[in-house]
Amino acid sequence: MIAISNITKSYGTGGNKNQVLKGISLQIADRDFIVILGASGSGKSTFLNVISGLERPDSGSVVYGTSDITKLTDEKLTRFRRDNIGFIFQQYYLLPNMTVEKNVRMGADLTGNREYREMINAVGLEDKTGKYPGELSGGEQQRVSVARALAKKPKVLFLDEPTGALDERTGRQVLDYICRLHKEYSFTIVMVTHNQNIAEMANTVVKMNSGNIAEVYTNERRKTAYEIGW
Amino acid sequence: MIIGMKDTAKLVGISVIAGCAVFVCTLFLNYNIDIAAIKGEITTEAGMAMYQAQVSTGKVTASVSGGCLVLTSVVMLLFYVKNYIDTHSKELGILKALGYSGLKIAKHFWVFGLSVFVGCIFGYVSAFFYLPSFYDLQNAEQLFPEIKAQLHPLLAFFLIGVPAIGFSILAVIYACLRLRHPVLDLLKEKRGYKIKVNRGVTKDRPFLKDLAGSTLRERKTLVFFVAFSAFCFSAMVQMSMSMEKLSSKTMAVMIIVIGLILAFMTLFLSLSSVVKGNTKTIAMMRVFGYKYSDCSRAVLGGYRPFSYVGFVIGTLYQYVLLKIMVGIVFADIDNMPEYSFDFKKCAVTFVLFILTYEIVMYSYAQRIKRLPLKSVMLE
Ligand SMILES: Nc1ncnc2c1ncn2[C@@H]1O[C@H](COP(=O)(O)OP(=O)(O)OP(=O)(O)O)[C@@H](O)[C@H]1O
Ligand SMILES: [Mg+2]
Repeated sequence: MIAISNITKSYGTGGNKNQVLKGISLQIADRDFIVILGASGSGKSTFLNVISGLERPDSGSVVYGTSDITKLTDEKLTRFRRDNIGFIFQQYYLLPNMTVEKNVRMGADLTGNREYREMINAVGLEDKTGKYPGELSGGEQQRVSVARALAKKPKVLFLDEPTGALDERTGRQVLDYICRLHKEYSFTIVMVTHNQNIAEMANTVVKMNSGNIAEVYTNERRKTAYEIGW
Repeated sequence: MIIGMKDTAKLVGISVIAGCAVFVCTLFLNYNIDIAAIKGEITTEAGMAMYQAQVSTGKVTASVSGGCLVLTSVVMLLFYVKNYIDTHSKELGILKALGYSGLKIAKHFWVFGLSVFVGCIFGYVSAFFYLPSFYDLQNAEQLFPEIKAQLHPLLAFFLIGVPAIGFSILAVIYACLRLRHPVLDLLKEKRGYKIKVNRGVTKDRPFLKDLAGSTLRERKTLVFFVAFSAFCFSAMVQMSMSMEKLSSKTMAVMIIVIGLILAFMTLFLSLSSVVKGNTKTIAMMRVFGYKYSDCSRAVLGGYRPFSYVGFVIGTLYQYVLLKIMVGIVFADIDNMPEYSFDFKKCAVTFVLFILTYEIVMYSYAQRIKRLPLKSVMLE
């Protein structure tokens, strides 16, 4: 379980000070699928970065099981990310000079996973392993980044607008791969989006409004990627 | 204006090297011209022998160091142009997509020649101020009548105007060639990654090894620069140590200063661009949980063997050069000390080299450590 309490974070100083997170608390159960919704600028990405250990909050704690990651040294935090966390971003951030296989391997090598090809097959890219990111479509690139993130067998997968740069059909396909892999490998998903419809796929929905949590609810029935509107 | 003054300011490395080249060439060539004018007044036999020796030394020194330095600045200039196009490929791609021709964009690259111009002027002027003492030094034994340093406009033109114009034209031509890529390749920042032989035959190598390999392969110019930097360090430092005995203290200081400037300039240039070129990769690796040390080893570690190769070549080079110079140039002069390879100096230089190299590498590893994750991702 991830227990987040009283997270605050601001940027700038003095008159320019901009409080982005205003004391957020939240509990995330293991193997949950949670979506964070909110308008642009409401602090979703910042919140995600803080709970995934990419950024440090000004105050508050983020406790995984029994360890508070806000108290870890940089080195320990790196090791924590290595052992526990996977990331998927809107802009993919694949390594442009490496083939699909090597990009996935970047994730797999971290935890010594030798079966990374399995993950490439799982996202349907078995015939593209030798291609470079520049030779792939946006959807294919995002599937590579899904494979890369899951090849290290993370306990929690963080996604920041994973379909933000994709069209409807491709977006659904990527989400479908993610859901299927979620069932198979049972990790926790924390996904940021501003697409209301995608929230219907989640178990828990968190609505953010200018640095605060406005509402948290659970879906009775989760829809599949192909059932939701867009 | 596509290329701002800020971009040209980054070419200070070229300015410094061009300045060094012009400094050395001005000293020796100006001297050669002035001494030729008083050749008729030399009466003694010893004076004539000294005259011959100095004229040849001047020619050799000017062409070896000048040529070496010019070659370096050419490679550096091309590297900067390529680097500029690579890092701005999106903007340039957009310009091309809007209908600007490659030549029209490339024309702006002439400003890169300014760096050479500035460097040459600086080198020439400082050489001119140094000329009187240099003349005294050359004529320390009073074998010649008094020589006055004179300004030779033609020499100035060849040492300032020609390089500046030449380098500007070179930059434009090279930019034109690099910009011939299709618009889409520029926009997608595709840079010929495809030209790899072992495509499809996927070797089972760990990611970090592969990254180290591809970092090297992708920037071959930098491999050359790192080796060259070690070459300069080894050749110039050892040569300078021998020079003190063979020639004079001033020569020794001049050589070591030029050598160190060259070595550090090229090393800093290559390492900064390695780190900058891999910022995104390093940031992503950090996000995924790779250790700092793994990142810096993969990105910087591959250059070490090449620096050793450069060191060895530099050692051989300076040995052969000095042997030839002592053998030919000073053949007719009495009590010229015998020159032979000095293992102790070589060992000292090697230790100094390793220390310097590792310190510089360490500082760049620290720089990698400080790369902010978020600013990379916000781009
Ligand atoms: N590094 C930073 N420095 C200064 N301000 C920042 C920084 N990062 C984010 N902000 C500010 O924090 C606020 C929240 O940003 P955040 O990226 O978390 O929003 P978001 O909800 O993810 O928006 P979007 O949906 O557009 O991605 C914004 O006003 C932004 O300008
Ligand atoms: Mg965001």
